[in-house]
Amino acid sequence: MTSGPISEIEAELAKLPPAVLEAYHQANDAVKESFGEEEIGLWAKEGLTIGTQTVRSWESAIEYYQVSPEVSKFLSFPSFMQWARCGTYLAQDSPTLAVSFFKSSVSIVPNLRPQYIPRWAGLGRSLYKGTWKSSTLAAKFFEVSPDLVRNLPFWDVEVFASLIEALSYKSYDVAGECLVLGRDVLPAMGREREPFLAMSRALIDTSWREVKTCLELVPRALQLVDESQTGRFLKLGERLAKVGLRDTSRFLSDGTQALSKVPQGSQGYILDLCDALVVLTPDAVPPFLRSLDDVLNRITVSQLDTWFQHGAKLLQDNPESGIAFFKIESNTSESMLETLSSSLELERVKGILRLYCRALAGTGLEIFDTGELVGRNIGWVDEDMASTDGTKVFLPPVVDHYPNKQDNFSWFKVVSTHQVAHLEFGSFDYEFEKPATQFEDLRHELEEKMLERKKAERAAAQAAYEMGAQQLASANEVDADMSAGFEDPNDMSSVRTFTDIGRYLEIFENARLGFDIFTVLEDCRLDYRIKVEYPGIKSASSRVQNETLEKRPRIEDMPLQQGLVELLIHMSLDQFQDLPVAKDYKEAAEMLSSILHQLRNSEANVEDTAEATLRAYEVISRVPNEQEEEEEFEEQDLEEPGDFSEEEYQSLVDQLQAGMEGSSDGGDGESYESPDPVDYRGDFKPEMVQLMTKLQADDGEEGEAQPMTQEMLEQLLQESPEMELDAEQGDVDSDMAQFAQNIMKEAGTPPPNSQPGEGYGPLLNDDESGGELEAREPETYVYDEWDFRANDYKPRWCIVKEKTVEEGDAAFYQESLKTYSSLANHIRRQFELIMPETMRKTYRLVDGEDIDLNAAIEAWADLKMGVPPDDKIYWHRNRNERQVAVVFLLDMSASTAEAIDEGRQTVDDRDAPDDPVEYMVWLRRRREGLVRRNYKRIIDLEKEGTTLLINALESIGDTYGIYGFSGYGRENVEFYVIKDIEENFSDKVKRRIDKITPLHATRMGAAIRHAATKLEKQQAKTKIMFLISDGRPQDRGYSREGVEKEYAVHDTHMALVEARRKDIIPFCLTVDKAGHDYLKSMCGDMGYEVLADIWSLPERLPMLYRQLTANNRA
Amino acid sequence: MVEAAPETQAHYTEYAIEEFLVRDEPYYRPIGDEIELFTAAYRQHIPVLLKGPTGCGKTRFVEYMAWQLGRPLAVVKEDGDETESLKEGEIRVPLVTIACHEDLTASDLVGRYLLDANGTRWIDGPMTRAVKAGAILYLDEVVEARKDTTVLIHPLTDHRRILPIEKTGSIIEADDRFLLCVSYNPGYQSALKDLKHSTRQRFISIEFYYPPADIETEIIQRESGCSKEHADALAKLGEKIRNLEEHGLQEGASTRLLIYAGRLMSEGIPPRRAAQVAIVWTLTDDPELQRSLEEVASSIFE
Repeated sequence: MTSGPISEIEAELAKLPPAVLEAYHQANDAVKESFGEEEIGLWAKEGLTIGTQTVRSWESAIEYYQVSPEVSKFLSFPSFMQWARCGTYLAQDSPTLAVSFFKSSVSIVPNLRPQYIPRWAGLGRSLYKGTWKSSTLAAKFFEVSPDLVRNLPFWDVEVFASLIEALSYKSYDVAGECLVLGRDVLPAMGREREPFLAMSRALIDTSWREVKTCLELVPRALQLVDESQTGRFLKLGERLAKVGLRDTSRFLSDGTQALSKVPQGSQGYILDLCDALVVLTPDAVPPFLRSLDDVLNRITVSQLDTWFQHGAKLLQDNPESGIAFFKIESNTSESMLETLSSSLELERVKGILRLYCRALAGTGLEIFDTGELVGRNIGWVDEDMASTDGTKVFLPPVVDHYPNKQDNFSWFKVVSTHQVAHLEFGSFDYEFEKPATQFEDLRHELEEKMLERKKAERAAAQAAYEMGAQQLASANEVDADMSAGFEDPNDMSSVRTFTDIGRYLEIFENARLGFDIFTVLEDCRLDYRIKVEYPGIKSASSRVQNETLEKRPRIEDMPLQQGLVELLIHMSLDQFQDLPVAKDYKEAAEMLSSILHQLRNSEANVEDTAEATLRAYEVISRVPNEQEEEEEFEEQDLEEPGDFSEEEYQSLVDQLQAGMEGSSDGGDGESYESPDPVDYRGDFKPEMVQLMTKLQADDGEEGEAQPMTQEMLEQLLQESPEMELDAEQGDVDSDMAQFAQNIMKEAGTPPPNSQPGEGYGPLLNDDESGGELEAREPETYVYDEWDFRANDYKPRWCIVKEKTVEEGDAAFYQESLKTYSSLANHIRRQFELIMPETMRKTYRLVDGEDIDLNAAIEAWADLKMGVPPDDKIYWHRNRNERQVAVVFLLDMSASTAEAIDEGRQTVDDRDAPDDPVEYMVWLRRRREGLVRRNYKRIIDLEKEGTTLLINALESIGDTYGIYGFSGYGRENVEFYVIKDIEENFSDKVKRRIDKITPLHATRMGAAIRHAATKLEKQQAKTKIMFLISDGRPQDRGYSREGVEKEYAVHDTHMALVEARRKDIIPFCLTVDKAGHDYLKSMCGDMGYEVLADIWSLPERLPMLYRQLTANNRA
Repeated sequence: MVEAAPETQAHYTEYAIEEFLVRDEPYYRPIGDEIELFTAAYRQHIPVLLKGPTGCGKTRFVEYMAWQLGRPLAVVKEDGDETESLKEGEIRVPLVTIACHEDLTASDLVGRYLLDANGTRWIDGPMTRAVKAGAILYLDEVVEARKDTTVLIHPLTDHRRILPIEKTGSIIEADDRFLLCVSYNPGYQSALKDLKHSTRQRFISIEFYYPPADIETEIIQRESGCSKEHADALAKLGEKIRNLEEHGLQEGASTRLLIYAGRLMSEGIPPRRAAQVAIVWTLTDDPELQRSLEEVASSIFE
């Protein structure tokens, strides 16, 4: 490029209007500071080029010269020239454009990287289409650019510009307005800007007029949506815009409005649903969002799922009716909301029911929904039936029998009261040998009979077998001792006798009939007891009973035998009048009624039920199971059958027996079938419960009896009528082995599924025997250990190695605080409440440290005046000053890696299926997953608890240290520092919390001793040691001869005692439900708590601490 | 000493603290051998520590014992010279009860100098007066008191049976009939509120717990005058609610609360409502727990 002498250029410039030269001269001096001689020439020349582009481009040149000094400060010369040349090109097209370009440059250049300048110029240029309107638009673009560039990444500016360009094809006016709006709105946006621009872009093709409205609406609208969800929301808008939704702006305002009213944290879920709808029928999304508020006022978010699924199904079949559904303009939708809103989910009342059941039963019952029980696959298969396994009560997940919540709750109450009654009134405590109170004992006699009967059967079978064997033997000359394989017929011990109830139930020849009668009679006994003991629930339970009665099948339609069982059921449901009874069996019915009435007595116990069952069975089993004509039935009143008498019973049985033998012409009629279950009474499985309890008990101590093998268990299950019953409903037989396996698992300790975590140090493995240890390395300490048998310390027995936990990510700390934000605030507030006023003098007291001079003088003056003086003349220093030092010891043993929520799999977000139907399923599963989140380990809860605690402790300024302990063997007790007691809280500590990992074993004693040593050095008046563990102390060689569990417990106890001698207050918190037994001996009279609900750990931990120190005073 | 005769006025009776006698037999239903134990301890001058949850009858027991021990037949006075002759039914073991609280200091118990128009005057505190008068001194919830009170308790509770008064520089030997009795509720889980062993080991301990259901029924019926059915149901409710200790409730329903509910019932308040205001709302502020307790109550009461 030729750079002529300056004077030449100046001469040329002079040809242009004089203002140009003037501007040039003015700029010249300033520019000299930035540019060299030669560069000035180029600079001047470029101005001339600009000025001579077109007729009116001299205006641009003036602007060029005017801004040059300012611009030159920010750009190197090559960049400067590049910038100038951009102006030149623009001037070529339109001088006005160039003028605006130069004008905005002053404020743009400081904020824009030089390499973007040509692109920026290009953006403006692309808006210019040669028309007057377009040049105004382009000029306006340059005008707003500084604001955009300052606040937006350049990439977004480009997207926005292209949006404006696209819009300009539709209307320059709108484009211009949007440009200005964008300047105001876009900078305030965060992450949502990009999706918003994408959505707007999509709008242009379908309804470009909406863009402006959207821009106007968006700032306010998005405030209503969770920050994390705005992106998804806009993306949804984009998808809708793409498929041609008309009023996106309305969607924007309505949608955000709707989302703002959704309960916290569920916005994401609602958007999930919307996404699902877009796939099906995009038009359904806006009505759905509009109805949402209404709907959620009536039902909960989790119920929404059911309603939504239904609508979605409708959409698939018929979009019209689907949309009407979502608009709540269809009957289906309305009635569905009606049912849902009155239905009651177990989840919502679980807490109340749990405490209710616990109060009634007096044991630490848990409530679960029935799905859980079925999921365990140990023999319970019906999801709709309530049940109990002795330690837990299972209830159906939802109740919607009644049109309002109150009644539905009463139903829950009636059902759970019945289940608890099994425990409270001892259904599972049946003892074969315990005498009945209302009946004479008949079972021994009948058991004899049964055994004889079996013996006879076996003998017959053996005879047949032996005959076969003989034939075989004679034919084949095989070893004749084959009969050895056949059991001795005299050996009658059956697996069923494993439990008392099993032994009893085995008496019945027709096991199913026997068990059915037993169930009815026991339920009858319980319902009666409930009515007597809990009169308050009478009306609710009578209502349930009456409704149940209405649904019972007609006795007349049933074969006689089944009819009599049904008759018992009717009577157990409190119907005694107008009962249809076959004429021939009037006495039998009366007898049954009087047997049943024996049980309607507060003194009757489960043994009475058993005896009653034996008698009822004897009667009913002697009645042929035949269909009887309707005319043969008569309405009977069985309210007062008269007292039961053994004689009458006996004569009736004899009579029936005779009748049976007399008419043994054509078989016994139809085979017996169990009656329909009585819904509210649920599943009653006494044998299973006794079995489980016994297996669990045997597991604890080495039983002297032969242990139950899986084969025996399978056989037992096969024979038990409880299982037989269910076989109809599900394909149980094939699963019997599976059941048996699961039951064994339930009963015993589950195999350890947790691998020791990755350690921080190598595992040393010294020999167990051996003597005193020496601490050679730095940061290692030696402690004695208590041997309770020797009643003495083993000197210098353990080496504690102090290590600092690695630093991880501080995000865990922040996350936990966020997850528990409301709880964290609550705890903090609580802590602040105990924050004492430090050392403040209180004046005018009747007694105190010293005379309060002012008061004393006043009193003295009063005295002189002869007036009784005020006697409050002392001051006292408020001694409430809080001086607490606390050490937290976290159990980092391998067992803390155990998942709390076993078997729940995390659902992966990424594999969302494309098919809408599958998507629904996936979504539902995801939703369920969300309720309980992912599975958590004990240690996670420990960590979260620690986080909350730190947060709270920082607010009151107690001195505290947090340590973890683990280890392997006595020479390697690991003591991890998370926050040393002298250390200040910092990000380091936050990061260390993240790295708390389950490691090896737990040698508590040594860890406690080390912590006590640390604490002892503290000056505080109150010193507390807080131990958080998940089980008993355990370690290799942490026992005498490697077997005695007590050794560890005793040593730990001794360590705690030592701590207390040092004026340290120890407190143990354990999440081990079985903790009560050993904690008692471990902690003695020191404080401890067993956490019943492990999920409450993060909450409980700070609260306990608060309680523990709340009344601290000097 | 203060004038002996109680001032009787139209609406209330005022006693000097050591003149307060339990005149009428208080109702107390023994559950075990606590009466024998207390009597023996009293004769042998052994201080007594009553342990148990709130409202299970500790205070009532002490009142009863004061009455019982004060009856002429039970009085132990071997010295012979009985100057005062007891009127029929009059009692000679006064009962001084002090409810301990966090700000109760030693001088609150012993006494202090007061200023009046003529200068300072020493006023005996309740403990001093009890020691002088030979009363049963009952320190209720003794752990609540400040630690400096142990200075007073220790010399009074061992063989010395003396009360040193630092401020006047004197020592008072306890009257022969004097007995210190303290109560203590081990249920409170504050580590900082525990009795020191040096203090504990100066007492014999009698443990109290809520009475068994049948006895509790009897007590409720007797104390509240409600019907047998209601008393029965209340005892049952108490038992059920106590099942929830450790499961959310800090302390179960006391017999006293059950009696309150019974009294409301005998005034015609519907049972469910009575249980709600007297028991449920008193026990907890937690809405869920309240609801659970109400459900239990509504199952038990029609």
